[in-house]
Amino acid sequence: MSLERPKRQQYVTEEGVDYDAIERLLGEHVLGRETHLNAEGFVIRPDEVQDVLFALRDEAGFDHLSVVTAQEYADRYESIYHLKKYDDPTQEVSVVVPTSKDDPVSQTAEPVYRTADWHEREAYDLVGIEYEGHPDPRRILLPETWQGHPLALDYDQDRPQIVTLAEHQNPIAEDHYDSDTETMFLNIGPHHPATHGVLHLKTVLDGEQVVDVDPDIGYLHRCEEQMAQNGTYRHQIMPYPDRWDYAPGGLMNEWGYARAAEDLADIDVPEYAQVIRTMGAELCRICSHMLALGTFCLDIYGDFTAIFMYAMRDREKVQNLLEDLTGSRMMFNYLRLGGVAWDLPEPREEFFEKTRDFLDDLPEATQEYHDLITSNEIFQIRTVDTGVLDPETAKQYGATGPVARASGIDYDLRRDDPYGYYPELDWDVVTEDGRDNYARLLVRMREVEQSARIIEQCIDLLEDWPEEDREIQSNVPRTLRPDPDTEIYRAVEAAKGELGIYIRADGTDKPARFKIRSPCFSNLHTLPEMSEGEYVADLVASLGSLDIILGEVDR
Amino acid sequence: MVLPLQEVLLPDRIADLTGLGQFGALGEFVAAFLAAFVIANLMLAMSGVAGPWAKRKITAAFTDRIAVNRIGPFGLLIIPAAAVQLLAKELIIPEGVDRPAYDLAPLVIASSAMLGFAVIPMGSGIHLADPETGLVVVFAIASIASLGLATAGYASNNKYSMLGGLRAVAQNVAYEIPLIVTAASVVIFAGTLQMSEIVAVQAEPLFSVAGVSIPSWYAFVNPFAFVLFMAANLAEVGRNPFDVPEAPTEIVAGYQTEYSSVYFVLIYLGEFLHIFLGGAIVTTLFLGGPAGPVLPGIVWFIIKIWAIFLFTQWARSALPRVRIDQLIEIGWKGMLVLSFANLVLTAIIVGVFIA
Repeated sequence: MSLERPKRQQYVTEEGVDYDAIERLLGEHVLGRETHLNAEGFVIRPDEVQDVLFALRDEAGFDHLSVVTAQEYADRYESIYHLKKYDDPTQEVSVVVPTSKDDPVSQTAEPVYRTADWHEREAYDLVGIEYEGHPDPRRILLPETWQGHPLALDYDQDRPQIVTLAEHQNPIAEDHYDSDTETMFLNIGPHHPATHGVLHLKTVLDGEQVVDVDPDIGYLHRCEEQMAQNGTYRHQIMPYPDRWDYAPGGLMNEWGYARAAEDLADIDVPEYAQVIRTMGAELCRICSHMLALGTFCLDIYGDFTAIFMYAMRDREKVQNLLEDLTGSRMMFNYLRLGGVAWDLPEPREEFFEKTRDFLDDLPEATQEYHDLITSNEIFQIRTVDTGVLDPETAKQYGATGPVARASGIDYDLRRDDPYGYYPELDWDVVTEDGRDNYARLLVRMREVEQSARIIEQCIDLLEDWPEEDREIQSNVPRTLRPDPDTEIYRAVEAAKGELGIYIRADGTDKPARFKIRSPCFSNLHTLPEMSEGEYVADLVASLGSLDIILGEVDR
Repeated sequence: MVLPLQEVLLPDRIADLTGLGQFGALGEFVAAFLAAFVIANLMLAMSGVAGPWAKRKITAAFTDRIAVNRIGPFGLLIIPAAAVQLLAKELIIPEGVDRPAYDLAPLVIASSAMLGFAVIPMGSGIHLADPETGLVVVFAIASIASLGLATAGYASNNKYSMLGGLRAVAQNVAYEIPLIVTAASVVIFAGTLQMSEIVAVQAEPLFSVAGVSIPSWYAFVNPFAFVLFMAANLAEVGRNPFDVPEAPTEIVAGYQTEYSSVYFVLIYLGEFLHIFLGGAIVTTLFLGGPAGPVLPGIVWFIIKIWAIFLFTQWARSALPRVRIDQLIEIGWKGMLVLSFANLVLTAIIVGVFIA
């Protein structure tokens, strides 16, 4: 079968994707071409979405649907499918699907990419585009009873949303008891010790085994995209990313926005600032992975056990370092477009020493974790071969980050789509082939070691950096007004995976559309695949191993 | 075999001391009631110390924290504070609960654990009753608790409680058999079910090391049975790795989800009493009961059951919880087989070498 297929390389030249070849592949489906800053966009008819995406996936090898961006223009609606390859995420292509104002109906992409299910639900929910053939066309973030679509242009912001108690679906009240079956419907959440935030899992149990699970999200939706659209590029957007993944993945989130906006406005970042950013991001990654490790064990051990507090203890040290660096423990607001807010704390020697002390203690702490958890037999029987996510399914769901890497997908944007100072440093991408809860834990533990390697090298670099070259910010105009109708999608490797930002500029100092691709959103979507057929205890463990932050899922 | 005569039981002693003995059956009843009152309060006091204070302090020590230290020396006054706070809370009774059963369950859980102490010899003459079938009585009483758990789970009209109740029953059935079979191996050694005699037999010296005589505690005589019993006991009292019926991160404390205020206190108390009762059984069967040098018997007894309490808390801090199917598998395929092997082996050893 595969022999008949044209070679995938045929759509690639040395500069990257051969967009002309792709245009020939898509043939008459293509209505026009748009140039986005990250990739070419092919405009297609709304009823040919599946044909085009199937061709791009199967013939040209674009196996990763990063995100679906929906937006409304004065004269049309538009869905953009941002496609990438897991093998090489620098190869990107966008599929732009305009739909008319009167009848915003577009064909669903769900049969091609499973992840489109949730992304299109969000597009319907917030913008109002309908997707024909969608298996589950419900709202996803807002309540079922919500009136209107908040990111649509004619949406009346001042209109009160009167959702009476009777109208509002009370997730606790309904009982799906069916006397013909022997299954039990169980609401796990919205308030439950193991949901790591406000998440509601509609679960159907057969005895103790999970028959069906449907994550219900949106309890923590805070209109982050809309708030970003109401802020100016230069300073007003940067505080928000800290509040997406508050684990804290703050600096990595900020970098996600910074990377997109800097490429959009063509801003250079001085090398010195890049090193500081790289170091800060990796400190955040350690913090985030420590929390993930602690809470995952909490789900398996129950109650507040030793390992949770040990993980907190080490996370605390990193937070002290981050506080020294940025002045804050969670809501950093430290990155600026074109650099960072300020230089390392004075006296610099003290900061280096503290960081080195932490790095020196880390191997011992890691060994302690291995003694306590990974080598524990009970822990192993609980986690090995539970919550299995095979790589093909993971790709279908757009899983990224440690979740994908634990399924053996060698995908890390720090290496594959280089940014910051990562290409200059010596470190490895961690993958595991276990595909299970245990592998996901191992990946995080090993990534902490790699992050420590990166930080160490950054510290060495910063220590020897000549004093006169310590440029922390490049020259950036006070008001940024990127050219109208420039569009960009840029992603960074956050602690949870690919954190992408899509920005469309309209010539003003605020983005016309600001879309966040949250890694947790896509990763959480894999939960039913992992846990159906397993025990409810494994469902809880799998949820913990996904390491979701609801602030980022719901935005 | 001539055994040293056990001390007079506590009711008799009270009857003698107060002169209640001369009032016949009524006097004996009042004396027995007073004795039970003393022992119950001792156990309640220990649970009171264990629940709000010792458990927190122990867990904190294991997890690098400080825990309660604001009120009183070492935070000890948290005990009355927690008691007032818990009892002052509103007793919320959810709609649709199965009323008499819902109210009875906490009482059953707390009282069944309490009742077990009646036959435990605690040393210094603190021993309420000493029937010939003492060991059987204590196991029979302790297993009433599963009835309470199942009732609580079923009557609460809550799915999590239901799951917790079912888990509790499955677990108790699976682990009570190995527990009792292992205890039976001790009975084979001791040749009696009477608690005071089991303790007395263990007082005999096993061997001497440099002039120090090591008593023939069954933990030394048959360490395998001891380990087995300790493991089964963890399941019996529902502590990690066998805290499946509660499993806060899975089924939100299971059968006790819907209980608040006094009912919650009763269930919580019942749990701690149960841990101490488990400790008391282990102490009596394997650790020579209240025996020990210098200090009076009751002090040794309390030290021993607190040591076992400490062990359960250690397991709670350090060990992951097994899954329900794994728990059942370990119980039926592992513990049961091992405990029967132990029983047969003990029978052979006793029959061939000792008899």
